[in-house]
Amino acid sequence: MAAKDVLHLVPPLVEAGKFNDLVKAGQTISSALCPSDNTVLVFIKDKNPSVSEEARATDEEQPLYFASLNAIPSSERRLLLTDTLIIFTAFQKLLQSAETREPGWLQSEQCLTMIRKLAIDYVNFIKECWVHASQPIPRVDGTLQFTGDHYRGLYTCFSLFVVLYLPEPGYEQAPVGDELMEWLNTHFIEPSTEEGDQLSALDRPWEDESFWPYLTRSILRGLSKASLFFLAALEHHPSEKLQRLTSTVIPLIESQPRLMNFTVEREFAYAMRRWGDKVKALRIEMDRVPEKERFDRFENWWERLSDIVGILEGRQDVVQRVCDDLGADWKEVAVAWSIFVDPRMRRQDMAEVAAQILSEMPPDPTQHEDMVHAALFSGQPIEALHHASNLDCWLSAHLGDIMESLQLIDAEPKDDSGISLRDQYVLSYAEYLHSDPALWRITVDYMYSCEEIGQRRADEVLLRVPLQLNEQNSDLKVDPRIRAGDIVGVLKDVNKTCFEYKRENVRRTVCRIAAQALVSDKDYGLAVSYCISAEDWLGLGRIVDRVLEEYITDGPQGFTQYALAIAPSVQELRAQSLIQGVFMHRLIFVVRYARFHELVQKRHYQDAASDLMTIFVEGIAPTSWWAVVLCDSVQFLQYAPTLLFSSSAASLLLQRLEDIFTRTSQGAGADYLSVLTRVIKSKSEREAVDQLKTVRIALARYFARSLVSRGIGP
Amino acid sequence: MIQTGLIQNAHGDLVTDASYDFYGLRLATCSLDQRIKIWQLDENNTWNVEDDWKAHDAAVSRLSWAHPEFGSIIASSSFDRTVKIWEQTSISQADSQVNGAQHGSGGFNSRWVERAVLSDAKGTVRAVEFAPHHFGLKLATISTDNLLRVYECSEQPSLNTWTLNDELDIQSMALGPSPGHVSRAHTMALATPTQTNATLEGANASLVTAALLQQTATNAPAPGRPGNREADGGWCISWCKDKYWGEVIVAGCGTTGIIKIIQLNSRRSATLLTLSSASNTAYNSVNSAVNSSNAAPADTADARSSSTSTNANSSSSAITSVSWAPSCGRSYHLIATGGRDGHVRIWKVKPGSEDADIENAGDSDGEDAKWTAIAVADFEQHKSAVGRVEWNITGTILSSAGNDGRVRLWKATSGSVWRPAGSVCVEQSEEPSQPESKDVEMDT
Repeated sequence: MAAKDVLHLVPPLVEAGKFNDLVKAGQTISSALCPSDNTVLVFIKDKNPSVSEEARATDEEQPLYFASLNAIPSSERRLLLTDTLIIFTAFQKLLQSAETREPGWLQSEQCLTMIRKLAIDYVNFIKECWVHASQPIPRVDGTLQFTGDHYRGLYTCFSLFVVLYLPEPGYEQAPVGDELMEWLNTHFIEPSTEEGDQLSALDRPWEDESFWPYLTRSILRGLSKASLFFLAALEHHPSEKLQRLTSTVIPLIESQPRLMNFTVEREFAYAMRRWGDKVKALRIEMDRVPEKERFDRFENWWERLSDIVGILEGRQDVVQRVCDDLGADWKEVAVAWSIFVDPRMRRQDMAEVAAQILSEMPPDPTQHEDMVHAALFSGQPIEALHHASNLDCWLSAHLGDIMESLQLIDAEPKDDSGISLRDQYVLSYAEYLHSDPALWRITVDYMYSCEEIGQRRADEVLLRVPLQLNEQNSDLKVDPRIRAGDIVGVLKDVNKTCFEYKRENVRRTVCRIAAQALVSDKDYGLAVSYCISAEDWLGLGRIVDRVLEEYITDGPQGFTQYALAIAPSVQELRAQSLIQGVFMHRLIFVVRYARFHELVQKRHYQDAASDLMTIFVEGIAPTSWWAVVLCDSVQFLQYAPTLLFSSSAASLLLQRLEDIFTRTSQGAGADYLSVLTRVIKSKSEREAVDQLKTVRIALARYFARSLVSRGIGP
Repeated sequence: MIQTGLIQNAHGDLVTDASYDFYGLRLATCSLDQRIKIWQLDENNTWNVEDDWKAHDAAVSRLSWAHPEFGSIIASSSFDRTVKIWEQTSISQADSQVNGAQHGSGGFNSRWVERAVLSDAKGTVRAVEFAPHHFGLKLATISTDNLLRVYECSEQPSLNTWTLNDELDIQSMALGPSPGHVSRAHTMALATPTQTNATLEGANASLVTAALLQQTATNAPAPGRPGNREADGGWCISWCKDKYWGEVIVAGCGTTGIIKIIQLNSRRSATLLTLSSASNTAYNSVNSAVNSSNAAPADTADARSSSTSTNANSSSSAITSVSWAPSCGRSYHLIATGGRDGHVRIWKVKPGSEDADIENAGDSDGEDAKWTAIAVADFEQHKSAVGRVEWNITGTILSSAGNDGRVRLWKATSGSVWRPAGSVCVEQSEEPSQPESKDVEMDT
């Protein structure tokens, strides 16, 4: 799949073999890898770093090139990738459920039936892809990325795997010949229908040079209808001997025992033996034909018929020679072997026979498909996977997945890479999927089906799925649905995937990133809920600081709005008592202080004053904010219609005020006055102190008023 | 391989670095023209310039994106001896803070604002890389003064204040707990908000003057050092992406073919392992060669003398680029290096046993307490100096770029054997009429 070749980028910068010219001019090549799809970014950079402080004013156009290991799957290919995921997922669920059952259940008849069913689902789906890709219809996205022939190759390999390794339960020990022949006849149709049509149109077909090969191959392939038709034609052959022999052959072909017609293998074997006896009788009859009568006007019909009888007799040398003559390959020999030479051949016997045949008729090393077939016939699943990966990483991944469950390959890593063979192929397929970021769901599904290493790779991919919190790339505003508190779109999908595969660390990081994005949009309320979801208390602290910063830079109005947005979350946090201490105080302070300002805006002075007092009574305000809150108290102290504070409350205010003065005189002014200094947009602490002096005066007056009013009272 | 895109006219001069953001949706590029450009990928898979500004007073050497949980932040290192921190802000905020003339033509929805200037380096800064996010908002830099500096942002979200947590002399830093360690943590307010308001040019001019003055003071060629040391050397860093081992970084500097794996520690940073390209050996605090039967025992002195001899004839062994692969659940680490000797090497590094006390690593007698490494791949295909190596996010694909004009990709095949996985070049194809040759098998 991934071509190990050289890609020449366009437009080229130099002629072939002339890169050194660029190097001499002080330039070289460099690259960067894209996190979303492994795209290679290529650019030309300066070879020797320049210390020059002059910006060179050249007008050279410097391009950036992008190249990828794999082409993004086209629509027809994507169909295969997305739809076979459903089967793959069903298979993973089956494996998971096996873990909860008794050991060995995976190899039980019940389970094997299900595995077989899913494998056949794969086969049927590839067949559909093949049919679809073979249709001569105009395509929206131009030419096909993979030809119909490519899918046909996948089809033949996968279905052969099912025939050889996933027999119907109960038939593991049954002869395999019929099934193999069906496979061969389905995928490698010989002799061709056209040839048959052409011959059947002739009055004396035996005069055509293709007649005998056609008939022989029909019989070799067990195509009784075609064989019988042309054998019937031979009854009109001028040779009487041949006519008579033909009339013996026809019932033999008609009555060749087929396993499927027997319920008990013993009966099949018995029928085979009796049938074999009849073939022997035919041979004796043939041998009685005198040498001189064995020819017609064209050729030696006797030898041709002898080949056919030789096949029926199950003679290895004849089968092999005939196949060679017919231009058939090792597959045909191996399958014919399982029908004629050893009709009771079991699956496990095939490896030995295939090895023998392959040693004389090797597979075509340039044809990955043929190599996969050969490895499957030879009982070498590891080899088969290797060649399958050369054909299509889809094939090796899905074959490997099933092979491990059937214990055909080792589930343990065979080297210190820590990756089993199955995982290796599944991960290599996942890496191919990763070349299209839009396929991230499928990519991580495959990766998470692997052991630790694969899962950790999936984490990296999942973390980098763009959350698309912003409605449009060009706009930094957050999607209104997300703003409304809904987890929608990609964020929702990513969250769901994290839950599904229990990737809490990933989920938390994603929440932290989402919170950060929301903070930069000043959507503090939602940001806080994401921080809480990520249990990111540090981040939560930063958001609180940001909200307080809003007060410092823009005053109470905006601050109130932002702070009240985080109030519900704070309420929730307090209820769950998830976090404690100073930090919680700061959160509560922000909310209470915002509520205070809201009350002030609404002119609910009595309530506002009481809230202000609560801030000091509960001791939730950070010391750096005392001065600011005290300054806020001035308007209440001076409120003419009534006294808003009790005398003890006013005393507490005075106490805090004096604390600040004392500490400031001791040199700790920065701790107490820094915020106020910034709020009043001043540069010096002195102005802050001056501001506090007005609080002191207001307090003094308040005490005076208070005394007077109490004095008058009862 | 197939070509998937092209930006015809990305910069007006040679590009010096390009770096993708966390998601691969944005791209920061910088150039000899001293400008940084930020590109954004739109829905139609087209890269559009999001912002473009003059960033430094000399060429920009490297760019690094901070993890998105800290916001949209990049750091740039430059030949003007500074590292700058930039943050993306929405346009309304940017208007009040940035001198618009600094930026390219208008129409951008966001602006990148300078937040801090780190100007401790006594040489050109060659690399900058943000630490993995679990260590907080930190970054490491390396400059031609051979010092590795680690900074931590001490004031989020304003990004104005960065603390120099560590300053380590890579060359003289001995193996094990280091006497050459010159850590001196101090806090510097590098760019106050008022400074950010000032025009960038003004601020930079003074910094450059300071840098030039320092140059005259410190950069007189030291005796025995070749004058073109800067051009022949290599300065590179890469963080270990894992959280488990604490803050670990690999760094190389100067003209030696040596890189060091350093454990950063608030009290005492230490070299865990030294990897020498000259003999493909690794050695740690106990002076025995590890995992390499034929390698002679080496200690710091040996390493120094060999580097001196290298200096004498050529600088061929300098490591120009190092990349620490994400371990992704593996029991070992992979570190790739590219050097002026034309080699791309992959080191398989095994951490010491977990109960090993780093401070006492030198006294520890258990072999498994030490970090060990072997070179698992050594490719010479570039046949000329290699300038860049980089891992993909899963540590499964390595890319390397060399003076042969090729960017080569490498992948592990079964049995953990690393093999070529394709390459790209900017030379004209020999047979332009022929489509790319496919599936040339290179397997044995």
